Amino acid sequence: MEALLQPVQALLGAAWVPVWTLVKIFAIILPLMGCVAYLTLAERKIIGWMQVRNGPNRVTFFGIKALGGLAQPIADGLKLLFKEIVLPSASSKTLFVLAPVLALAPSLAAWAVIPFSEGLVLADINAGLLYIMAITSMGVYGVIIAGWASNSKYAFLGSLRSAAQIVAYEIAMGFALVTVLMVSQSLNLSDIVRGQGEGMFANMGLGVLSWNWLPLFPMFIVYFIAGVAETNRSPFDVVEGESEIVAGHMIEYSGMAFALFFLAEYANMILIATLTSIMFLGGWLSPVGFLPDGFHWLAAKSAFCLFFFLWLRATFPRYRYDQIMRLGWKVFIPVTIVWLVFIGGWMMSPLSIWK
Amino acid sequence: MNFPLPDFFPASAEIFVLVMACVVLLADLFKSERQGWLPYLLTLATLAGALAIQVGTAGADTTLTFSGMFVDDRLSDVLKSCLYITVFAVVVYSRDYLMARGLERGEYYLLVLFATLGMQVMISANHFLTLYLGLELLSLAIYALVALDRESARSTEAAMKYFVLGALASGLLLYGMSMIYGATGTLEISAIARKLSDPATNMDVLRFGLVFLVAGLAFKIGVVPFHMWIPDVYHGAPTAITLLIGSAPKLAGFSMAIRLLVDGLPTLAVEWQQMLMMLAVLSIALGNVVAIAQTNVKRMLAYSTISHMGFMLLGLVSGVIELRASGDIQLSYAFGSAMFYTIAYVLMSAAAFGVLLLLTRAGVEAETLDDLKGLNRRSPWFAAVLMMVMFSMAGIPFFIGFFAKLAVLQAVVAAGYLYTAVFAVMLSLIGAFFYLRVVKLMYFDEPLDTAPLVASSEMRALLSVNALAIAVIGLMPQSLLTLCATALGQAMK
Amino acid sequence: MLIEYFPILLFILIGIGFGFVPMIAGKLVGPSKPDPEKLSPYECGFEAFEDTRMKFDVRYYLVAILFILFDLEIAFLFPWAIVLEEIGMFGFVAMMIFLGILVVGFIYEWKKGALDWE
Repeated sequence: MEALLQPVQALLGAAWVPVWTLVKIFAIILPLMGCVAYLTLAERKIIGWMQVRNGPNRVTFFGIKALGGLAQPIADGLKLLFKEIVLPSASSKTLFVLAPVLALAPSLAAWAVIPFSEGLVLADINAGLLYIMAITSMGVYGVIIAGWASNSKYAFLGSLRSAAQIVAYEIAMGFALVTVLMVSQSLNLSDIVRGQGEGMFANMGLGVLSWNWLPLFPMFIVYFIAGVAETNRSPFDVVEGESEIVAGHMIEYSGMAFALFFLAEYANMILIATLTSIMFLGGWLSPVGFLPDGFHWLAAKSAFCLFFFLWLRATFPRYRYDQIMRLGWKVFIPVTIVWLVFIGGWMMSPLSIWK
Repeated sequence: MNFPLPDFFPASAEIFVLVMACVVLLADLFKSERQGWLPYLLTLATLAGALAIQVGTAGADTTLTFSGMFVDDRLSDVLKSCLYITVFAVVVYSRDYLMARGLERGEYYLLVLFATLGMQVMISANHFLTLYLGLELLSLAIYALVALDRESARSTEAAMKYFVLGALASGLLLYGMSMIYGATGTLEISAIARKLSDPATNMDVLRFGLVFLVAGLAFKIGVVPFHMWIPDVYHGAPTAITLLIGSAPKLAGFSMAIRLLVDGLPTLAVEWQQMLMMLAVLSIALGNVVAIAQTNVKRMLAYSTISHMGFMLLGLVSGVIELRASGDIQLSYAFGSAMFYTIAYVLMSAAAFGVLLLLTRAGVEAETLDDLKGLNRRSPWFAAVLMMVMFSMAGIPFFIGFFAKLAVLQAVVAAGYLYTAVFAVMLSLIGAFFYLRVVKLMYFDEPLDTAPLVASSEMRALLSVNALAIAVIGLMPQSLLTLCATALGQAMK
Repeated sequence: MLIEYFPILLFILIGIGFGFVPMIAGKLVGPSKPDPEKLSPYECGFEAFEDTRMKFDVRYYLVAILFILFDLEIAFLFPWAIVLEEIGMFGFVAMMIFLGILVVGFIYEWKKGALDWE
């Protein structure tokens, strides 16, 4: 590999670093986009199976029957591409166009610090988690600006609800992350994963028991559910509750502009699933001693978490808005504070397992 | 890493007040219907307890703690003790008024306690950050208190004005502090004083910072030309809140002036004394003259505050800092006179607003001069109380206000500002007009409102004690003056 | 040191680019036949009435303010959490006092109904 790249490097000179970085960025984004596309298919298929129906099964490649349904995301994408992008006359045009971009950009940019495997990370910065916190918080701007710029009542209500919901769950999420920081004593995501590979159980070959999910179990649950609420996924999808406010902040969007919101939502789902895997499920680490660590574990764990996203959607009816706020403020925040104090006390006590 | 545990002992009163504030908050939330008195009594107990702790832990030494950010000295002991007593009286005076207007909520007691805590921190600050922290805690609590009557457009407007202007003043103060930090490289007040003699210190930046510092300070104590908020806020706030704003914070404001200017920037005294002199002269002139035109007692007292604060500044102006090295008592007497003046003013102001509160009842405000007419017929004793207060404020012998003015003027003359002293006396004579007008209205006019006074017995008793204090300390002012002078003498060592 | 952040900057720019490209593509290949009905705000088929930028529930402001308080709190916890093992008991107790005060405030807003949406 090195030998192959050497001549290219010499050719490009000073431009090498940006070009090579660009290549790496596309190596992350393009597969991610593929995942997003096929996540939509997986969602429809899985929910279909859960409800004992087939899901998409007609659209196929080159007429091969066995691949029925597999071309569905591509067909959907193409359809949206050829639809008109309506710019409502009452809207604030610039903001209206900017909003979907603002929704999508953070959910992509967060991937810059995700460690896929040992050493396999685009930017191995020490403030990784801080960056994640900062950049994912930006996502709410897309929603608020969309609601405001549309100048439509449903959009406005939807974005208000969404903003309040996202910020409410962000607090619980933040507290959950603080406990992760406490036990790993680092903001660097790779270090957080490595820290989970040490400990009594890991030495016995049972790495799965030394990951953060066990000692931080309530935090793991809170983080994941808060993640579901943050991405406005069912059962927390009052933002776009079609029975109440039609499609919420996206109501005035059509064509590719609408597709961008969808991309953002699914990219965020994958991001949350990956972050949950990294922070609580040991990232690329193997659950048992005799199997090798590697990217495949991260992928498997993220897929597992994503499956939960879909499962939740298939199982639960939509929460009422007051129930959502109650869960966020009156259940999650107290739970996280109590567990934070508990973990702090545990770390101070001689029984600490993180020394 | 090992952190030494700070010495909490010097700050025990502050810690007590903070803990009790949290207790009051929780007690208010969980009290039953019949326990409406709980926050009130707990607040009074807190203030009494804080006084006991303050007196109990008072020592002759100056103690620094929290890495030199907090100082416990004689000055802070005296000022804080006065603070607790004042706030205690404020709470007792205010209860009936607030209850009659449905404002007697736990938040009132809570905010009063937080304001008290803010003032305590200000008084004990030995660091710009501590000082600012205390100031903001006080200010934020007071902004909220001014708007306590949410239904009243006038109160909310006053709160808004106060908030905006107060934020501006905080900005000025912070700007000055950052300049001084830039020049000296430290925020600790005693360290700044040491840095001043260092020839490497940039004096221009320091002076520039000083201007902002003085402006911020002048704003917070409300002297001309930074007085615009005083009449509006005094007028707009519910009278019980005006009572609070008009009394205890002056103690903290005085302490702030001492810590910032006298302790922090002693060798720049020539500069800041010039500025303060200007502020003082303008305040005395404007306060006394404009007060004459007021028909609203609260506004009148607001302008009277401005002039009194001007007088207080005169005391600060007349301390000749060059005498510091020689340990001359002139210095501590000059600053001591300012402190004495502040304490005297707080006593008088509490009593004056106390009487105004006494005259109110459900649905009836006592705000205009007309409301005071014929008070003698309605209640001879409280007419006498208000008369004593007015005489004292006007500087008529032998009340405390007279000796306060006398002490300041003596210091001014001793410092060589004879014309300033003459000017101050003349304006005080002009000011005496509107104080005496109140007395005339009470004794020689027919009452417009003949309803009997309704007030709780504890309020009547405390108000009487307050008035007697004005008279009795007026008979023997020397002990309090000496106390102030020694406290300041120790603080300046 | 700062060079480690260069890929992040680039990534953010690419992320924004990835937002704009489909929009431009959609604008280019999609039809564009606006008419007044299509461009009017959607209100379930009714004519839009009243202004959209209307008054809304004050509780949203309340949530926003509470969020700022708590988020600052978390920002304060971050550095503490990272060095907790080094600062030891002192740091732990100091933060517990801080958290205690926070919890008192939390109880207050809870009992006052600031968190109720029923």
